[in-house]
Amino acid sequence: MALKKRYAFVIDPARCIDCRACMVACRAEWNTPAGQTRIWVHSDGPRGQFPNLSQTFVPAQCHHCEDPWCVSACPTGATFKRDSDGLVLIDEEACIGCGLCVNACPYQARFRNLETGKADKCSACFHRVEAGEMPACVATCIGGARLFGDLNDPNSTVSQAIAGRAVYRPINDQVNTRPMTLYLSPPDASAVQVSPSPRQPVPAETFWHTVALPVVKAAIALAFGGQALAFIFQLFKGENEYEEA
Amino acid sequence: MEEITREQWLLNRRQFMKGAVLAGTGAALAKLGIFDLGPAQAQAGPEHFLSGPTADYEVRTLCEMCVWRCGVIAKVRGGKIEKLDGNPEHPHSLGNLCARGQSGLMMTYDPDRVLYPLMRVGERGSGRFRRATWEEALDFTAEQMLRIKNTYGPEAMIFSSTHNLSQPLFENLLNAYGSPNYGTQRSLCFNAMVTAHLLTLGIQEPARRYDGMNYIILTGRNLMEGISTSETRQLMERIAQGAHVVVLDPRFTKTAAKAAEWLPIRPGTDLAFHLALIQVIIDENLYDRAFVERYTVGFDELAEAVRGYTPRWAAPITEIPEATIYRIAHEFAEAAPYAFAHPNWRTSNFINSFQTERAIAVLNALIGLCPEQGDCIFADESTVSLGGPPQPPYPRVTAMRLDGVPWKYPLVPLKLGVFQEIRDAVLTGQPYQARGWFFSRQNPIMSLPDMARTIEAFKKLEFIVSVDIILNDSSWYADVILPEATYLERYDPLHAVGSRVFIRQPVVEPLGEARSALWIYRELGRRLGLEDYFQYLDEEDYIRQQLAPFGVPLEQIKQVGYFDAPVPERSGERTWNTPSGKVEIASETLRKAGFPAVPVWEEPPRPPEGRFYLLTGKVGQHTQFATQNNAYLQEVDYHTQDLWLHPTAAAQRGINNGDLVRVTSDAGAVEVKVWLTEGIRPDCVYLAPGFGHASRGLKKAYNRGVNASRVHVTFTDPVSGGQALTQTFVTVERA
Repeated sequence: MALKKRYAFVIDPARCIDCRACMVACRAEWNTPAGQTRIWVHSDGPRGQFPNLSQTFVPAQCHHCEDPWCVSACPTGATFKRDSDGLVLIDEEACIGCGLCVNACPYQARFRNLETGKADKCSACFHRVEAGEMPACVATCIGGARLFGDLNDPNSTVSQAIAGRAVYRPINDQVNTRPMTLYLSPPDASAVQVSPSPRQPVPAETFWHTVALPVVKAAIALAFGGQALAFIFQLFKGENEYEEA
Repeated sequence: MEEITREQWLLNRRQFMKGAVLAGTGAALAKLGIFDLGPAQAQAGPEHFLSGPTADYEVRTLCEMCVWRCGVIAKVRGGKIEKLDGNPEHPHSLGNLCARGQSGLMMTYDPDRVLYPLMRVGERGSGRFRRATWEEALDFTAEQMLRIKNTYGPEAMIFSSTHNLSQPLFENLLNAYGSPNYGTQRSLCFNAMVTAHLLTLGIQEPARRYDGMNYIILTGRNLMEGISTSETRQLMERIAQGAHVVVLDPRFTKTAAKAAEWLPIRPGTDLAFHLALIQVIIDENLYDRAFVERYTVGFDELAEAVRGYTPRWAAPITEIPEATIYRIAHEFAEAAPYAFAHPNWRTSNFINSFQTERAIAVLNALIGLCPEQGDCIFADESTVSLGGPPQPPYPRVTAMRLDGVPWKYPLVPLKLGVFQEIRDAVLTGQPYQARGWFFSRQNPIMSLPDMARTIEAFKKLEFIVSVDIILNDSSWYADVILPEATYLERYDPLHAVGSRVFIRQPVVEPLGEARSALWIYRELGRRLGLEDYFQYLDEEDYIRQQLAPFGVPLEQIKQVGYFDAPVPERSGERTWNTPSGKVEIASETLRKAGFPAVPVWEEPPRPPEGRFYLLTGKVGQHTQFATQNNAYLQEVDYHTQDLWLHPTAAAQRGINNGDLVRVTSDAGAVEVKVWLTEGIRPDCVYLAPGFGHASRGLKKAYNRGVNASRVHVTFTDPVSGGQALTQTFVTVERA
């Protein structure tokens, strides 16, 4: 079996020109509904006083964290971290659209898709990556600000880009999900804008977590269990009908 | 329990089901948190069903979301364009596409497209049309054009076109018809740049090379927002490699944000800045003496003329410190030949913009232009000569041109023209009255300054026909609209970049009854009795005739997307396509026409007390006036439609961030939301072009933002014919 991959985004804000081609590429690739986007470019509007100004643009998306809170929040296992390469993905068929993962993500990288009702977020264009292409946002990035690749491969563009350079993960004292986006600019210029916010339980959430969620989980378990029993029954009963050529 | 990876599960669902169904149920329950089975078991969780978009086939073609023409690989599924990617084999895309290029499929799938020929039924401008057949629409158009020709002469028909690959066929139509009145966007954009570089270097559209460049001066060339994919990428690459980029712009653009140095120069004084650089470089012997002696004429005259243009002289004019100008002159000359001052594109700013461009061309010549012999920064884009259908001579034209070329503007190249003058000639009826207007995918109502006057001119005409994709503002006033297929649905003539020749070809069938420009002009030509000028059977036949000299089959270029033509031999000595055969630092052509032979200072007008310079300039998400109805671009053009105003100027007028303000010029007024920013000179305001469409046929773009051409005043540069867009001065007050 091949070595496991360790996919990461490497982002160089110094190269981002805020053209937003990445956002359109992502929308075109995934046909996300109007008003919803899987990826962003944060802009901090010129800082300083005329004429001594600076401005930075910081691309961001799901960080495919090594310790993803969305995965632990998901009641059905629809959100999972793929063993083979570390991508955090969503199984749309298993997603029940409960929105727990949306609340759990400290980067607000998730949303509930208005058309499908399911959880949605950056999937690192896994289908393109599997076909040897770059994710749509990376492929189209004019400034070369967005890079993607396998950190376990020393020859990948991401390994080359970070070689000998300081990298910064968008974390803070409260939150460290070990995000797999490595920024090439120091935190004061960029990470501030993509810094995670700790999820303080609000009253509604508290109720959800202590009372409602266990009930929901039990209900799902019962439903699933019932279905599974019926399925097992069918599976063993109708052996020949299901045999594939 | 057996450890099973998801991949195995996906590969062999059935076997897994049979073997592990009980365990699977347990694992699924574990994922629900009912049983705590630990992470190892949890990983074998429920089946994960992942599906990404797939494509049935791919087509290699060319983008047309702007005029840079990037290579595109279009993916199609189920007969529908799914996704566009940049073609790595095209030198203009290098594998990338900008936001506009990525959004291109939404132009094809815009619900507001014109899909059938339309004929006006209501009053002109009422927007009431009925569907017609091609036969009827073309017959009627030809009948009207022949009536105008027979009654008033062919010169009574105005033609105008946007910059596109089928433009040569449109020009063929108007030349064969016999009208001298042809308007393009050029005088609203790059007349000053082209005229100055033709007169100085004999090159009309200089290409730029970035390899190894260490010092780049950008005079309002906002490459990070006025995006030319490959050039923007190359500039970013040079910046990342440490090149020193100086941006002269009264506004803190995204290019300024990336540059080493931003100089918020006073509008209209870039000429003084460059003259001062020239003065220092000559005065301190920093120029490339060998190049100047061998390849240029008029150096001594220049040295004499710029003697007084010192950094001390330029500092109060430009409001850039003397020491800064002096330092940049030194740094620029020291970096030579790996340095250049960008020749720009849109230079329609002030009536002195021609002189600014001359100074830039001369400055580049002084430091040598060529890093290596015969390998110049500035060279024409392509020298490939394609085949084509036989071309009979055009009828002789005796009528004067309505745009004043050459009788009023002797040095404006015929090809460039002075578009804004054509509109004014319709209104005055001088030197004669125009009766009809035929425009091809152009939108003069939005693009020309002083929108009210353009609408007035449109209302005065007897017949208006347009070729368009959506119901643009100008088409709204047309009598006949001929629907053109989008760039993803049609063929266009081939396009060469260097020695590589690219094809634009249909990715999908046209929607409705939209047709290619090649087809439309031929059909119209046939009805006008001009069939000899359109000797091709169909689009593919036209391209076959273009390919004929190279022996390349159409099928091959369709498959690969391009072919490589033989590279012409380079001649030994570098020559320049000017009257003297050299770089004309001093131009006898200019002198004879009564203009200064070398670049000299011309004072641009300043706004009177209480008024602002109204700046225009690109946003990275739109192209001119053509893309604002695109659903994908509307999603990403946030923060582009407000009026930029400096907080100091706002405070004096009691204006707060987000207030609605009234912007008034001599041409008109608009009301717009204000954005207070430190990123603009306190004596300037900025409004992005292209918003505030007036056509209700553009459901998404109608009245979204405001249209700056309602306030732009018409001023023309007497040398190049360029419209001076920044010479509009406005008051700003709370609405």
